[in-house]
Amino acid sequence: MKNSNFLAYFFLAPALIFMGIFVFWPVGFNTFLAFHNYEIAGGATEWNNFANFVRIWEEPLFHQAVKNSLLFLIVVPVIQLASLLIAKLVNNKLPGMTFFRAVYYIPVITAISIAGVVWTFVFKYDGLLNEFLSTILHFFHLYPQDKLVEIQWLQEPSIAMYSIMIFTFWKGIGYYMVLYLAGLQAIPTEVEEAAILDGANAWDRFWRITVPMVKPTILLCTMLSTIGALKVFQEVVVLTDGKAETYTALFYVYDQAFRNYDFGVSAAAGLVVTFFCMVLAAIQFRFFGDK
Amino acid sequence: MLNKKVLNRALVLSAQYASLLAFGLFTTFPLLWAAAFGLSTDGSVAYRFPQGFVPHVADENGVYSIGVTFSWIHRVFVEIPFTQYFINSVIITTMAVIGTVVISVLAAYPLARMKFFGRNFIFVAIIVTMMLPAEASIVPNYITIKNFGDFANWLQLVLTGSDEGTWRKFIGLNSYFSAVAPSVAGAFGIFLMKQAFEAVPQDLIDAARVDGATEMQILWRVMLPVTAPSIAALGIFTLVNTWNDFLWPSVVLRAKEMQPLAVGVFNDLTGPLSGSQNTLMAAIVLTVIPVLVFFAFTQRYFISGMDGAVK
Repeated sequence: MKNSNFLAYFFLAPALIFMGIFVFWPVGFNTFLAFHNYEIAGGATEWNNFANFVRIWEEPLFHQAVKNSLLFLIVVPVIQLASLLIAKLVNNKLPGMTFFRAVYYIPVITAISIAGVVWTFVFKYDGLLNEFLSTILHFFHLYPQDKLVEIQWLQEPSIAMYSIMIFTFWKGIGYYMVLYLAGLQAIPTEVEEAAILDGANAWDRFWRITVPMVKPTILLCTMLSTIGALKVFQEVVVLTDGKAETYTALFYVYDQAFRNYDFGVSAAAGLVVTFFCMVLAAIQFRFFGDK
Repeated sequence: MLNKKVLNRALVLSAQYASLLAFGLFTTFPLLWAAAFGLSTDGSVAYRFPQGFVPHVADENGVYSIGVTFSWIHRVFVEIPFTQYFINSVIITTMAVIGTVVISVLAAYPLARMKFFGRNFIFVAIIVTMMLPAEASIVPNYITIKNFGDFANWLQLVLTGSDEGTWRKFIGLNSYFSAVAPSVAGAFGIFLMKQAFEAVPQDLIDAARVDGATEMQILWRVMLPVTAPSIAALGIFTLVNTWNDFLWPSVVLRAKEMQPLAVGVFNDLTGPLSGSQNTLMAAIVLTVIPVLVFFAFTQRYFISGMDGAVK
């Protein structure tokens, strides 16, 4: 190690300048904006006490947004269990596994806006999903042959959030699969072989060996996807644009700023979201701090 | 006895492959469907299941048979400025990759290999930003970028006396710079490179110092070649993330001629083009193909490079 203050800061300067402007400054500026009325055109600001916070506290739309963001958490256990199972499946030493891993990763590398457009056509009332369900139900004679399934996947408020979750599930599973794969590959094969010799079946092996041994990865992925679920909103932008009662907390932040031009209210809501993410991060740190 | 074992094994294997295949269909069906849709004459078969997954063409009598037409692919280039979007994507992505790699390498080297005042504080401060929701910064960053533009105009007025407002185009709203600036310096890249630099044996650096190499030469001649795989991984991640980035570019790049594919194509598909579903699906396929081709060549970085970043 060489001691050289000047050179070190010279190397660090670009990173510190950019992070200072675009990562640290926004936190401070958001806090400032949250307590002010802000005029984007002239940049005029006016202190308004806690009016922005009172406004979001009382606004039903923000309540809906918070409720939806919390509702979205139910996607977390589903996506974790599924991606762990998938990771387990592609972790076999069988031909074609690299191919399947790549195929499962494709949704992750597809732009969310482009994938969202296809999915809106899948979710349409006369779209692919309803057509698919009709075909299956007709085949098993579970639905009148002359009628088609016409579920409003993205228009019906009681369903729309769940449709967005399906999209999130589709988009995210490959990402967590890769993380679990890394965890699984750290398990010595002898452990599982010993269990097979002892006559443990696949179910027991999964719950008694795999799950306990990848517990650190499970904790990490659960935290990542919990924070991800609370922050969900690009999905809303591309699928429903907030219609059908699908506002989420960050969609509200975005909507207030760029449609209502109410930057103060937006910042106040953004500050609330940042606060909850920091709380979650602190919990995460307690879990992983000693690692 | 042996037969039973073989049979059992065969059953398990086919069950495994069946579920692998079924799940593969789940992850790829939207793209396969879009491809079949975009290559068909019209949408009359597309919504039928399972025929919709195979492209159909109609002959002059209106009879549909399996076949491929490229007319909608051609329409895409006529109806939307696809080439312009593509060029924008390439420029923005190149800037982001170069910027991220240079800034991360420069910042990670002292953090990993030098002793200086405030080292731990700076490292912790950088890592903590991983927990901030970047999405909440969209509004302040938008205002910052807008102020950059105003500042550029003021500078132009002061330095050249012209009030044309052309300098705004370089760093203000609707500039390539604005699309990449908030993301080039990030905790992920710095952390990834710091890990890589820390793994380089100290002997190598000492040997270089004995030979009289300066700090810059050590970084350039010793560190960079040894950590090339990590740099490649960082570059590839940045490339795909920037290429696919949608929200931030859609906020700052309001001018159509500056938009990348993910933004421009989305706006056109949900706006003027939403009537012609075949063109829409063809445009989607064209947008996804470059990423898929790139992914096909670099996928081992995604599948294996990530675990290094997580640990």
